[in-house]
Amino acid sequence: MGAVFLREIQSYFQALTGFIFLGLFLFFAGIIFTLSNLWPPGSSDFRTTLTFLNFIFLVAVPILTMRLLSEESRQKTDQLLLTSPISLTGIVLGKYLAALALFTVALAVTGMFPAFIGTAGLVVRSELVCSYLGVFLLGASLISVGLFVSSLTDNQVSAAMLTFGAILLIWAIDWLIQALPRDRGAGLAFLSLLAILAAVFVFMTTRNVWVALAVGASALGGTALFWALRPAGFDGLIAHVLLWFSLVARYGSFSRGVLAVGPVLYYVSFCATFVFLTVRVIDRRRWA
Amino acid sequence: MIEVSGLTKVYGQHKAAQEITFSVARGEIVGFLGPNGAGKTTTMNMITGYLSPTAGTARVGGHDVLEEPMEVKRLIGYLPENPPLYPEMTVSQYLRFVARIKGTPAAGRRADMERILALTGIADMRERLIRNLSKGYKQRVGLAQALIGSPAVLILDEPTIGLDPRQIIEIRNLVRELGKDHTIILSSHILPEVTAVCTRVIIIHHGRIVASDTIGNLSRKLAGTAGLTVRAEGPEQAALAEIRGIGEVAKASSMGSREPGTFDLRIQGRGDADVRRQVARALGRAGCTILMMRSADVDLEDIFMQVTREEGD
Repeated sequence: MGAVFLREIQSYFQALTGFIFLGLFLFFAGIIFTLSNLWPPGSSDFRTTLTFLNFIFLVAVPILTMRLLSEESRQKTDQLLLTSPISLTGIVLGKYLAALALFTVALAVTGMFPAFIGTAGLVVRSELVCSYLGVFLLGASLISVGLFVSSLTDNQVSAAMLTFGAILLIWAIDWLIQALPRDRGAGLAFLSLLAILAAVFVFMTTRNVWVALAVGASALGGTALFWALRPAGFDGLIAHVLLWFSLVARYGSFSRGVLAVGPVLYYVSFCATFVFLTVRVIDRRRWA
Repeated sequence: MIEVSGLTKVYGQHKAAQEITFSVARGEIVGFLGPNGAGKTTTMNMITGYLSPTAGTARVGGHDVLEEPMEVKRLIGYLPENPPLYPEMTVSQYLRFVARIKGTPAAGRRADMERILALTGIADMRERLIRNLSKGYKQRVGLAQALIGSPAVLILDEPTIGLDPRQIIEIRNLVRELGKDHTIILSSHILPEVTAVCTRVIIIHHGRIVASDTIGNLSRKLAGTAGLTVRAEGPEQAALAEIRGIGEVAKASSMGSREPGTFDLRIQGRGDADVRRQVARALGRAGCTILMMRSADVDLEDIFMQVTREEGD
């Protein structure tokens, strides 16, 4: 893992994407800071600036993650990595941590902005620290999505565009939810669909009809049981489920200066899930 | 050292490798011979653990590839068909990275790298970016990568592809040299390459092993299939009739004209019979002038014809 991590960092700067990422990120962060904090009338509230910072992710994260795994399969260097005595998880984690390290450096540099405001004595430290943690966790989650996307293709440009689309979708979930049906019937249909999808997924991975049918039947049975016991639970179910995937909604609590365990755990498990999925995608390719 | 049994890889309907079974003893240099797309690379990828077999097992140094992949990977140095190089790194950065992921002991790394740089003849290139190296040097860096940590087994997929004749000879000599302390499997679609380097040949065609033998036995099997190629000037039909009249000639056929005003013939003697003198006299009788006479090339197609025909008998 260590060797992969170091090589990845080295390669960020030799292949210039590291400089492009840092440059873009800090350039836009500087503009946002200037406009929202320094420009008249000026504001001492750095949290708004940080919230705006999240929008840079839309462009910066694809740059950071596009070549992580796609380039390995294009150059066929994955053959070297996968035939070396290192674990697949180690390879993927090494790459993820390298992207995360570069992102952390960029974020740390923006720390000079609030320090600058602080010289006028107007920063609430707890709020600031929580907001930064929120930005970091949100960024780490989006990077894990980008890592996953780059394992799906051997073309950097496709990886970048898909990641861009995925991040856009994640931002849009909060708006999309308002347009979705909230009645019980829709909730039931949604849950049944999920049960069927679960069965299909099990079939695709195990190729065993009986196991897939058992999974599908028990999931549908669970849905029916839920319907019989608590029909009220189906009100606005789609929104509830999708909101659970909303990375942005959870960011709110951090910017209010509240450090809650729930959102932190949520982000960490989100990252872990996508790292795990990435490992699975690469491992499955051997069996294709 | 390597035991492969019933190894099969199926992609949808396409069977890339079927029931590949062979074993390689310590210190052997075994050549995989077959045309492009025969299944050589697929087989190598399964032995090295890059691909998982649909069926069958591969064991290296007593360890099963699927059950103990780490032990197997520690024993193997692999040069894939496209050398797995990072173009943005320098040669020495790259080799240091390989040494780290292969987990070679940190103490001996520098000496090991110097030895390999010298062995593969890339010592002068160590500070160059891999991106800027010629195809031949890239191939050598790929080979150097496989040698890092002195693995007991070397698997080299088309190690001389894309090299110029002088480099091909250098790499062949190097492989022969390496064969003294390593067990080697190398693949090629060129017959002379395999006969020049290997102690034993495994011929793969359409995903199956069609023959597996020592070089000596294989040449004996092939003797007599080669025959002569003759280029002559004059009446072609009369020449063919005269040559076919010779008792020791098994077969004579026209190969068309490759030079204006001449014709080419392919002539095969019975068994190991040397028919050059009789052919020359026969052509003289037919009123033809011989412009060229040489042993016909044994190409891969002939071998397959020969080998598959024998399998069928």
